[in-house]
Amino acid sequence: MPELFAQTDVAGFEQYLLLGLVVGSLYALIALGYTMVYGIIELINFAHGDLFMLGTFLALSLATWVGVETVTGQGNAAIAATVLVMLVVTPLACASLNILTDRVVYKPLRNSPKLTVIVSAIGVSFIFMNLGLFWKGATPVRFPDLIPDNNLIAGTGLAFTWKDLMVVGVTVPAMIALTLFVKFTPLGKAMRATAQNPTAAQLMGINVDRVIAATFGIGGALAGVASVVYGLYIKSVDYQIGFQNGLYAFTAAVLGGIGNIPGAVLGGIVIGVVGELSKAYLGAKWSEATIFAILIVILLFRPAGLLGARVREKV
Amino acid sequence: MSSPLLEVTDLEAGYGPINVLHKLSLRVDRGEIVAMIGANGAGKTTTLMCLSGVVKARGGKIVLDGKDLVADRVPAHNIVKLGLAQSPEGRKIFSRLSVLENLEMGAFTRSDKDGVKADIEKAFVMFPILRERQHQAGGLLSGGQQQMLAIARALMARPKLLLLDEPSLGLAPQIVVQIFDVIKELNKQGVSVLLVEQNARMALKVAHRGYVLETGRITFTDKADVLLNDPRIRAAYLGE
Ligand SMILES: Nc1ncnc2c1ncn2[C@@H]1O[C@H](COP(=O)(O)OP(=O)(O)OP(=O)(O)O)[C@@H](O)[C@H]1O
Ligand SMILES: [Mg+2]
Repeated sequence: MPELFAQTDVAGFEQYLLLGLVVGSLYALIALGYTMVYGIIELINFAHGDLFMLGTFLALSLATWVGVETVTGQGNAAIAATVLVMLVVTPLACASLNILTDRVVYKPLRNSPKLTVIVSAIGVSFIFMNLGLFWKGATPVRFPDLIPDNNLIAGTGLAFTWKDLMVVGVTVPAMIALTLFVKFTPLGKAMRATAQNPTAAQLMGINVDRVIAATFGIGGALAGVASVVYGLYIKSVDYQIGFQNGLYAFTAAVLGGIGNIPGAVLGGIVIGVVGELSKAYLGAKWSEATIFAILIVILLFRPAGLLGARVREKV
Repeated sequence: MSSPLLEVTDLEAGYGPINVLHKLSLRVDRGEIVAMIGANGAGKTTTLMCLSGVVKARGGKIVLDGKDLVADRVPAHNIVKLGLAQSPEGRKIFSRLSVLENLEMGAFTRSDKDGVKADIEKAFVMFPILRERQHQAGGLLSGGQQQMLAIARALMARPKLLLLDEPSLGLAPQIVVQIFDVIKELNKQGVSVLLVEQNARMALKVAHRGYVLETGRITFTDKADVLLNDPRIRAAYLGE
């Protein structure tokens, strides 16, 4: 983001706020995968960001396979169909890979010390990253630019493009669907119950292994959705994007209160907004420092995160 | 003669390298309240968790209503469906689920929505405070209320056999009386109960028969009133 605007530029402020909300909803989508898995097995799944990276690569390849790599020469229908294929296939693939990873790597370690599992997750992260490196090489790859950049709110002094609309239009419904799912469906309730007390969940007749698998599946699918949206939005991907975006998303999850679904969304938005505002007003080099400074300050006052542990456990 | 509802034979179980239960055998007949008493660490909770499939049996038999849970490797999540439910030690309420949702989780294996609704109503009649607090988080209830919720939640599975692990632990005396009245009432309605208690006197007063567990072995078993009058039991467990 160019540092053109003076600090008094009100329109600039609103613009960055808007941009922050858009970017933040993307972080939120990735953060949900961290927070849900943590909530249920207390694992910080360091491979989650890299799963997201592999998702962007798959989405990119899908566009290549169906032959729609640029807007030029394509009808709207072909473009829409391509995006739709990406949005269906990528989440399914990411969900499957996440479930498979749990089955093969984490499940055998279910009764091992937490640190063992976390180190395994770091291992999986490296494996995924190297898969990505092997798949698309070390240099950034151009992602098909399929969504137009025209401003939808021209005349307001602000910019909100089709791309921004796409991000919000995909991430917000995904988050609403997840919230409703977790709140009202039997599997969603079983997830919350298992997260709160796995032994009691077993005593209720809940198949805890299946609930954990479903959690990895849903977290993976959300990362898959995020990867398509990210690719279309940023238009360039490489094998290292999992690290930075994963770190931000993880930070978002911690900020909101790890294990807490609305918390992950709020954390994502806060990080998106703070990141964009600090880029604009302090310079890009300060943006990470600002994000983490705010994280530290918030955690000093609310160690469980913004929405973490509102109900104290009684013994 | 019908077969016992639960027949445990030579059960072995433990954690890691340690065996906690040694050739433990016990029986619950249909319609009975059976008490199991024993000192801290004797293995009472381990026994119940084994019956619920949460702790894996390493040997022996657990025959529930004619089905051997050990030989058939019945996983924990299928045992509830066979008619066994537990109100665990420490209650293990889902603290961020509402009281109502806690009850719904108790009925997780059931698909008869109307039946579940009717049973929630029954739970509210049995424990009116749960109706008042139905929309509150389980974690906000007092200890006694959580115990009521834990029992009501277990009953939502419509068990034939109800396992109760220390239902009186840490509760005020009048609440304890209330809980034990409920246990008697449930038993009258046909639920068989295996009751684990530190409060041996209360337990043996409501029970038909009792077992004494010492370091993973059953050392005494008899009719409850016989145990209540046994000088050794009185000295060791009734504080005399
Ligand atoms: N999860 C566990 N891992 C390892 N050892 C355990 C575990 N749970 C219990 N034990 C051990 O097994 C033994 C039996 O414990 P258990 O909880 O079954 O006893 P209890 O009779 O229920 O005791 P209490 O009256 O204190 O509830 C104890 O020595 C205990 O330390
Ligand atoms: Mg115990």
